[in-house]
Amino acid sequence: MRKSMIPIVKKWDWENSAKTSYWGFRFKELVSFRHLLFSLVRREFLLSYQQTLLGPFWIVFQPLLTLVTYILVFTKMIGVSVGTIPPVLFYFSGILLWNFFSDSFGGIYNTFRDNIQLFSKVYFPRIIMPVSFLATHFIRMLMQLVFLFLMMAFYIIFRGIHIPFHLVMLAFPIAILCTGIISLSLGLIVSVLTAKYRDIGNLVTLIIRMLMFVTPVIYPLASIPSGVRWIVLLNPLTSIFELFRYSLFGEGSIEALPLIYSLAFTIIVLPLSLMFFNKNGNKLIDVV
Amino acid sequence: MSETVIEVSEISKLYRLGTIGTGSVRQDINYWWTTKVRKKDNPFFEMASSTDAETSRNFLWALKDVSFDVKQGEVLGIIGSNGSGKSTLLKIISRIVSPTGGYVKGKGKVSSLLEVGTGFHKELSGRENIYVSGYLLGMNRDEIKQKFDEIVAFSGIEKFIDTPVKRYSSGMYVRLAFAVAAHLEPDILIVDEVLAVGDADFQKKCLGKMRQVSQAEGRTILFVSHSMQAIHNLCDKALWLKQGRVVDIGNVGSIVNKYMMGVQQFRMKQEWNFEDAPGNENIRFKKVELVPLLAEPDSPMDIRAALTVKFEFWNLQNNVHLTTGLHLFTNSGECVFDLPSQPAEFSKGILKGECTIPGNFLNDGSYFISLIIVKDTSVQLFYLEECLAFDLEDYRGDIKWYGKWVGAVRPKFPFVIKQVPELV
Repeated sequence: MRKSMIPIVKKWDWENSAKTSYWGFRFKELVSFRHLLFSLVRREFLLSYQQTLLGPFWIVFQPLLTLVTYILVFTKMIGVSVGTIPPVLFYFSGILLWNFFSDSFGGIYNTFRDNIQLFSKVYFPRIIMPVSFLATHFIRMLMQLVFLFLMMAFYIIFRGIHIPFHLVMLAFPIAILCTGIISLSLGLIVSVLTAKYRDIGNLVTLIIRMLMFVTPVIYPLASIPSGVRWIVLLNPLTSIFELFRYSLFGEGSIEALPLIYSLAFTIIVLPLSLMFFNKNGNKLIDVV
Repeated sequence: MSETVIEVSEISKLYRLGTIGTGSVRQDINYWWTTKVRKKDNPFFEMASSTDAETSRNFLWALKDVSFDVKQGEVLGIIGSNGSGKSTLLKIISRIVSPTGGYVKGKGKVSSLLEVGTGFHKELSGRENIYVSGYLLGMNRDEIKQKFDEIVAFSGIEKFIDTPVKRYSSGMYVRLAFAVAAHLEPDILIVDEVLAVGDADFQKKCLGKMRQVSQAEGRTILFVSHSMQAIHNLCDKALWLKQGRVVDIGNVGSIVNKYMMGVQQFRMKQEWNFEDAPGNENIRFKKVELVPLLAEPDSPMDIRAALTVKFEFWNLQNNVHLTTGLHLFTNSGECVFDLPSQPAEFSKGILKGECTIPGNFLNDGSYFISLIIVKDTSVQLFYLEECLAFDLEDYRGDIKWYGKWVGAVRPKFPFVIKQVPELV
């Protein structure tokens, strides 16, 4: 009624046309869907621990079990040297950051495959779905990080490990942020590709497994012979993992050039992947 | 005049049929090369419009140049047979898929009900599902919090609200899902045939709520249904789609009527030349026709309409004793009645027959008619199977109940109940 009395020519609120833009995100719209994001994250947590005995404790148990395996295999059986850092802290920090990367990536790149039923029935900004995965795994990682700090405190107080304080210590959030961004960006790109060509999905699982071996998760970068080190450094995650460990334990090999390479990669790949996802998102519903 | 809230302009949607997979990379590269590098038109557009049978068979225009406006507060029904593009149109207006050409612009918040239980997860409790589904359908947190109790009460599952929905009966599941949908308050509501699922009670609730929303609150609704009765009752305007094109748009009564006639024309009347007429050495059919006598000129062919079956045939024998029988079958093949004509003696030539099925006798549904011609009331000369077919629409007048009315017939026999005066 009110609208018809005052003939205001209101601009259109939304549009759907053949032309999909690279910059399709409307900030206002994303803000209006923030509660959806929160509830999806909540749902993800509830779903992970439905009908489990230990429930949310799995967030810490799972990396702990991995840690035990790594200690047994790499420290006790093979005898990989991890420098002066206690192997427990070394491996746990690596597992924590790697799991954050691979778990969120694994969820994000299946965005279309897993949600096609939903996507084909209701409209919402598609980016919410991958971001909710990232947020879920980010929160899990934070909980594991708290556990890591507790373990560090234990080692400092009871085992007399000395970790010198330095300014780089404040850089660990940057390392986490970069890992998250790379995971999201690569996930978005692969999600579009797997939706179109299913074969890629099979490859990606394999590639992720191989990627772990060229990321300093189970070994320090310093233990790689300098002749082949460039291969490991080609991986943008390498310097970020080294930065993470260096900031926490004050030990690791950080060099300016590889670090700049990693940061530049992160900064460039994010907008590119968002544009790619945006441009292709709506068209994919017809193809998946 | 109220303002236009949805503008649909020359919407087209092209689907590529067949296997997507092999050749798809090649086609993608081809597409990218032509459109981006050489700055030409989409190569598949040309292929789709080309007359070359091989290529055009692989493409389908689900929608072609569809344009219309929807005004504030309007209830628009979209009708058409299966595959006419109704669902695709709703998906484009809902912004779920993008069109191949043209655009849709809109004002205000849109909620699409294209399925029951959008975003429901079977592992989660009813409570959690209300929130996730509500957010997905476009509610905000305050709205859900404010209406939570109302939603639960409406669904009638208070006791099970914290039970995972996988343990719900399918009826409970649907009730909860619809309760969420019923409490949406969008500016524009888009409803696909969610009414097709659920029981009569659910359909009634659903239609009642929709009418309330449209009339009392002045919301704009787009509604797709196969039930002409529902469309007729709820909508002011109707849009008729056929093979992706708009046939007509306008007042709901006239469009529904035209649609019904259009759908059935080929089965409502058949005519043959003597050479290719169905029959044998004794009988050849010339013409069969079904003429409905509508209650009002504008109303659809509903159960009130009297139906006159007219037929003509060539009788090729002299001095023969003939009877004609009219068999009426339901859609499921059950014979409703077998009506014989008075036997009489005829000579060679054209014979004409006519039989009227009264209005307010058959139930709503699909029926077909077969004609039989019998000699000496015992020898079958020819049986013309399923020569006429028709659908009768539902009509209930003031009865506010939308469940399926059972039975092959729905006669209006005199039926009186009276209060017995109490003896003092």
